[in-house]
Amino acid sequence: MDLAKYRNLFLEEATEHLAEMSRALLTLEKNPDDGEAIDLVFRMAHSIKGMAGSLGYDSITELAHKLEDRMDGYRAAGRVEVVEGIAILFRGLDGLERMIEVVRDSGEPPPPDPELASALSPDAASAAAPEASEEPKKKFPRRSLTPRGHGA
Amino acid sequence: MTRVLIADDASFMRQMIRDIIEPEGFEVVGEASDGVEVVEKFKELHPDLVMMDIVMPKRSGIDAVKGIVAMDPTARVVMCSALGQETLVMEAIQAGAKDFIVKPFKPESVVVTLRKALEKES
Repeated sequence: MDLAKYRNLFLEEATEHLAEMSRALLTLEKNPDDGEAIDLVFRMAHSIKGMAGSLGYDSITELAHKLEDRMDGYRAAGRVEVVEGIAILFRGLDGLERMIEVVRDSGEPPPPDPELASALSPDAASAAAPEASEEPKKKFPRRSLTPRGHGA
Repeated sequence: MTRVLIADDASFMRQMIRDIIEPEGFEVVGEASDGVEVVEKFKELHPDLVMMDIVMPKRSGIDAVKGIVAMDPTARVVMCSALGQETLVMEAIQAGAKDFIVKPFKPESVVVTLRKALEKES
């Protein structure tokens, strides 16, 4: 495998994904039940996980996986927790950006961030959920893989 | 030569699949980056085989399999999944996909899986 070629492709595409993720998080900050933004962050995290896994960037894979799992929970609930949820998602975004910069600068796999990975875990989300006693809003099916109005 | 259509929203993944299968005698006749485009390209290109990601924008890979199989019940679709997507893979198989491969790809398994899918009865 031509590692340099794939590393460049990864850096280019992951940077675009993180920019899209950032815009979606800003949308969610204003509208925490924006289904398309929730779905987009989920897909971007999923895509970064797949690419990083193919290159052996385990720390990026782990962080993106945690973010993806957390977004899957928000997809099921139909909304992001307004304060804690948004804050931890921005931390996840920052963490991924830092790791990708390490790859860009050094060409090496970045070191893991177990504290951030743990904070992003869906278990941490349910423990912090302020609306745990409310009936979840089922705006999308749990395993819908596309934005509203287009899914199976 | 087996004609293949690749559907994945990541160009990185499409390139990786292309680099794995082209030296093994497969011809990539088209690429799609979402679930709507893959159904349109299937209709246009009539490939022998489709490699289909599950998580895609506009229309999921599972929904796209349903669209393709409704159009051509003999279509051969192989799903590209990630670890932890077992339930979704089963759903795709029930929808008409022939087999699946798991990311990160092992080049030998990709080629073996595609050849097996081509041997399966339509």
